[in-house]
Amino acid sequence: MFRMGKNDHATIRAVLSGDKEAYGALVVRHSHSLFRVAFRITGNEADAEDVVQEAFLRGYQKLESFESRSNFGTWIYRIAVHCALDRISARKADDSSRVAEATDPEQNEIQVADLAAGPDRLLLSGEIGALQQAAMRGLTPTERTAFLLRHMEDCSSEEIAAALGIAPNAAKQAVFRAVHKLRLRLAPLKVRI
Amino acid sequence: MKHLNEEELIEHYYGKGKENGVTGRHIEDCAECAEAYEALRSDLDEFSATQPPPRDAAYGERVWQSLAPSLPVYEAQRRSWFPAALWKGLGYAAACALLLVGGFFAGRQWEHRQTLAVNKPPQAQPRPVHPPQRVVVVVLGDHLERSERLLVELKHADAGSEEMLSPLRDEARTLLAANRICRKNASKIDDPALAPALDHLDQVLAELANHNGPWSAAELERLQHEMNADGLLFEVRVLRTRIPDHRAAIDARQNGGTI
Repeated sequence: MFRMGKNDHATIRAVLSGDKEAYGALVVRHSHSLFRVAFRITGNEADAEDVVQEAFLRGYQKLESFESRSNFGTWIYRIAVHCALDRISARKADDSSRVAEATDPEQNEIQVADLAAGPDRLLLSGEIGALQQAAMRGLTPTERTAFLLRHMEDCSSEEIAAALGIAPNAAKQAVFRAVHKLRLRLAPLKVRI
Repeated sequence: MKHLNEEELIEHYYGKGKENGVTGRHIEDCAECAEAYEALRSDLDEFSATQPPPRDAAYGERVWQSLAPSLPVYEAQRRSWFPAALWKGLGYAAACALLLVGGFFAGRQWEHRQTLAVNKPPQAQPRPVHPPQRVVVVVLGDHLERSERLLVELKHADAGSEEMLSPLRDEARTLLAANRICRKNASKIDDPALAPALDHLDQVLAELANHNGPWSAAELERLQHEMNADGLLFEVRVLRTRIPDHRAAIDARQNGGTI
């Protein structure tokens, strides 16, 4: 999951000793992984970049509390996940005004606000990603993050639990629920194809 | 045959179920579960196609360049934070020490008061008084009576009457021994005038008992006047009058009463 640079601990000691520039090495080393997970959680490139910066800023401020036996990559990754969750929570109200996530109980179809075209056309035109994103927005933040970390980042249940601050079994159940909901919501689309 | 549920299929898809091989063998043997797993795999594989937009190699450097100006130098922070943390820690330590010392002294005071309360005799309980022994009082009474008779005879003795003075010398020797016993036991009689009187009597008896040869008139007169035999006779008489009171007190205590 995380590549722990051999020099991460030495770099942290240098930073705490006053070498601010040394933190740059940590930022360069872990920026890509943080951007990847931030983008997958927020679903937005600009938000993901903001999350990366915020995560490194928080990490710098809390660097004294970082325990040397921990993995800096895991630690800063966890901070990024929390920052991303905070970001989508703050954005939630705005999202609800743009996208209607209510599901029609009779047809069991996802209602996307800008679905001018039908599902068949969306699938054929390669816009299935938009439908998946719509289905993802129907998940709770915990379910969505757990699924993303599991499915995209190949994290174990223990790693997901550590990132979300929940028990491993709860992380596993969150993945199960997420997969179940996603399949349930995307199933009508597949029938129409 | 029990079919696999969705959770087991999901675990198998993400690799957990493949570790023991049981789920995989079941999927190979069970057409229904194989179909369900294929549907799950198809659904989840579609999500894998979504990839975040790529970042170039300089992305990390750009993040750092935008972040660096807003970060303070840690050394400066440590200089300003460390003394605060140190003083805070010292404050906590001092407060703990103060509480400890205060608790210690409070405990000592409390224990001291408890000890005093336990050892303090009750106010209503009278101080135990050792009553004068009845035997001492009786012997003293007899001794004073014999001493009074001797002093009276000494007062009226003539210097030339050896027949009269010789028995007085013998009596004085006898009384001298008895007087020393009475002096030792005088503390048991609650009478402040007794001890001085017995001391005075001891001097007179000693002078009388230890005189050798016949008494001259001058010697007898010196004994009677310089030794203040008259004053001693008066003291002995006064003490004798108190003896009945002492006896009454002893009798009352022995009968369970108080004076």
